Amino acid sequence: MPTYAMFTDTSVCTGCRACQVACKQWNELPAEGAEWTGTYQNREHFTDKTWRLVRFVEKADTKGEPKWLLMSDVCKHCAQAGCLEACPTGAIHRTQYGTVMVNQDVCNGCRYCVSACPFGVVTFNHDTGRVNKCTFCNDRIHNNMPTACAKTCPTQSIQFGERSALAAKAKKRLADLHEQGVKEARLYGVDDDILGGLNAFYLLLDKPETYNLPPAPKLPERNVAVDSALSIGSALVLGLGALVAFRERGSASGESQEGDGQ
Amino acid sequence: MTFLKAPHWEWYIVWYFFLGGIAGGAYFVGAIADNFGGRRDEEVAKSGYLVALPLTLICGILLTIDLGTPTRFLNMLRQFKFWNPMSIGSWGIGAFGAFAFVSAALSFSREARLVWLRKNIGKVGSLFGFFLASYTGVLLGSTARPIWTDARFMGALFLASGASTGIAAIGLISYLRRVELGESWRKIKKADSFAMAFEIVLLALLLGTLGSPGRAIWAGPFAAPFWVGLVGIGLVVPLALSLVLKPRAGQAGLVTAMASILILVGGFALRYVIVFVGQS
Repeated sequence: MPTYAMFTDTSVCTGCRACQVACKQWNELPAEGAEWTGTYQNREHFTDKTWRLVRFVEKADTKGEPKWLLMSDVCKHCAQAGCLEACPTGAIHRTQYGTVMVNQDVCNGCRYCVSACPFGVVTFNHDTGRVNKCTFCNDRIHNNMPTACAKTCPTQSIQFGERSALAAKAKKRLADLHEQGVKEARLYGVDDDILGGLNAFYLLLDKPETYNLPPAPKLPERNVAVDSALSIGSALVLGLGALVAFRERGSASGESQEGDGQ
Repeated sequence: MTFLKAPHWEWYIVWYFFLGGIAGGAYFVGAIADNFGGRRDEEVAKSGYLVALPLTLICGILLTIDLGTPTRFLNMLRQFKFWNPMSIGSWGIGAFGAFAFVSAALSFSREARLVWLRKNIGKVGSLFGFFLASYTGVLLGSTARPIWTDARFMGALFLASGASTGIAAIGLISYLRRVELGESWRKIKKADSFAMAFEIVLLALLLGTLGSPGRAIWAGPFAAPFWVGLVGIGLVVPLALSLVLKPRAGQAGLVTAMASILILVGGFALRYVIVFVGQS
């Protein structure tokens, strides 16, 4: 099976939000009302009902002229996915196409994945008591259709396809932009330096932080081994302390514990 | 770091971490007293087992209520992911509950064979007690949340707190059960003083390695529960009292019980501060 990916080229995004609407339409996600965010962006962040989100960043360029940075954001479907590692039920699993999916029938709402996502994607749904996120249009890709957001994007800012081919395309696009003098262009998540590689990767026109992306996210579960080892060390010290305290003999009261304890 | 989401683990989880720590700590300290102590210490062990059993039951209730739909707790048992604290925690609390039940039941018998069985079951059950009191800290450490993700020693610290509050609970329950512990009151005090001293060391290590983000724990809105609740009431005052007070023979139980209440308040403050500081 091929590994599918989405390549979001922010240099050609016009901020039309067709992707955001198409996502809502296909996945039957209800409206949530407007939210004032201080920009043109609607919803400050992903919610249980907003899985595609166009980020609007207004920023002055080097000449002081205001300019837009636009980026259609989505679940990254990480190769090393914090949510998937965190999930105790197996609800969050990797599909045959390499995407990360929440099985709604199995999720029990423990919310460990919410705290383990380095991008703040996975969201608890108070109506169902389970978590939601982008499914990578699981139903569509299993029927040989591209994701709804990619299909609808009028500028091909979002492209869908087989990962290695898309990665090559992204690198070619970066080289072209650098040749044209767009020095600040950079790729995010194409290579395996970010969580083993993202299955939704980006071409950005500024630092990742500008788009609310972490510059160097790490797999949260990397800490389990160290923390467990420290806990075992703590257990040995505390166990020994209790043993010494209760084993003590020849005390002032003259009570003898010889022979009656074992 | 505003783009990260909080899991909204609130009061049910704070209480679970607190009571789970007591249950695990009381059990393994009880089992150690059972195996390595004298005859009087069998009452210490009994108090430990009798604390662990109902608290474990309450822990299970708290966890299932927190899920909203309690039967969904069963979904946890679809998998066993040994590297995942939430997964092995779900299995671990069940296994620990079984040990707590058997140990508590056997603590009512004086028959030699059953006593032998209880002591040996206590040895194995202690491993689950250590686990229950510590894995919750490891669980918080393996998230992407600020502070939690950078704070090492949380599992180790929760375990020390589980030991100190577990011993405190043993002291309190022993006093309420009106059992005559004699020299064992002094052993309880000694064991708890050691656990608290070690807890202070671990707390210093945690804050020291955490660096400036740790200010949120001791200088921000959590400064009051941290300094007054955890450090003051929970650690320094009971430690100082144990050094200063030399209770007469008949009053050792009462003094232990009073100190125990302070230590328990401190253990709750620790869980409150850590759980909420990572989500604010």
